[in-house]
Amino acid sequence: MKTDDFESRLQSQPLRPIPPDWRAEILAAARNTQPMPRALRPAPQAWLVTINHQLSTFFWPHPKAWAGLAAVWILILAMNFSMHDSSPRLAVKSAPPSPEVIVELKKQQRMFAELVGSAEAPDADRRKIFLPRPRSEHCEILAT
Amino acid sequence: MKMPAGMDIARLYDEHAQPLHAFLLNLTRDEADTRDLLQELFVKLARSPHLLDGIREERAFLIRLAHNAAIDLIRRRGTRDKTRENFATEMISPFAPTNDPDEKVFRENLAAALGELPEEQRAVVHLKLWEGLTFEEIAAALEIPPNTAASRYRYGLDKLRGRLRPLYEEIK
Repeated sequence: MKTDDFESRLQSQPLRPIPPDWRAEILAAARNTQPMPRALRPAPQAWLVTINHQLSTFFWPHPKAWAGLAAVWILILAMNFSMHDSSPRLAVKSAPPSPEVIVELKKQQRMFAELVGSAEAPDADRRKIFLPRPRSEHCEILAT
Repeated sequence: MKMPAGMDIARLYDEHAQPLHAFLLNLTRDEADTRDLLQELFVKLARSPHLLDGIREERAFLIRLAHNAAIDLIRRRGTRDKTRENFATEMISPFAPTNDPDEKVFRENLAAALGELPEEQRAVVHLKLWEGLTFEEIAAALEIPPNTAASRYRYGLDKLRGRLRPLYEEIK
């Protein structure tokens, strides 16, 4: 790119010199710094600092927005836990009833049947009168 | 002496501090910030003496470190000092003071016009005009493609030309 007059004019403007007293101060600060040994640079606990730095970098642009989002999530979780049904979802398996209870239940069932006047026979009798119907292929044999 | 033999921090300072100072001052427009960044840079070099191992272009590497530090600082300023960008004329000029009235006016206007450029254009314009770097060298220092460096320079220079043309024509 060819430099024109305007660029030459700009280039000719002298820049502000560095204050001379800075040299001693900056070099003193640099010399007082302990050089970090090469082997120690990736310190064993450095991952915590690294994660912290990465998170800070990630969350840096809008910290209030991220904090607000985190607060909303905490609120949602808190509400979810407070509304949680504490009763057990499955019925607890109960112990088998004792023989006395079974006898009592059968007695009540019989009394109920008498009161209602049902023609339905008790289970034991029903089993006696039950005759299985013949299958289709056995119909002829049974008829003869 | 805690510095290792391979790292002569005084030599680095004598060779590079002046251009780094001008570059940082043009970016930050604040003398205290410039000093802090410059000290931070040399302390970093002292703390990590192997940082320059294998580096062929010390100046370009140091400009990159300085630029990154300045960008971090400008971002940290964030919205808090955003208005400072709009009052660049009130901030310190990167140019040397002069007694010539015409030159004084021109430098003040140039400093203000530079302050109005976006930081990325200002960095490229500074390195091209006052460091004499090529676009390839600027690209390497700022970690951008050479074409981007060239286009930023053109846009920046056009803005400066538009802003300073009347004054430039008057005092030419």
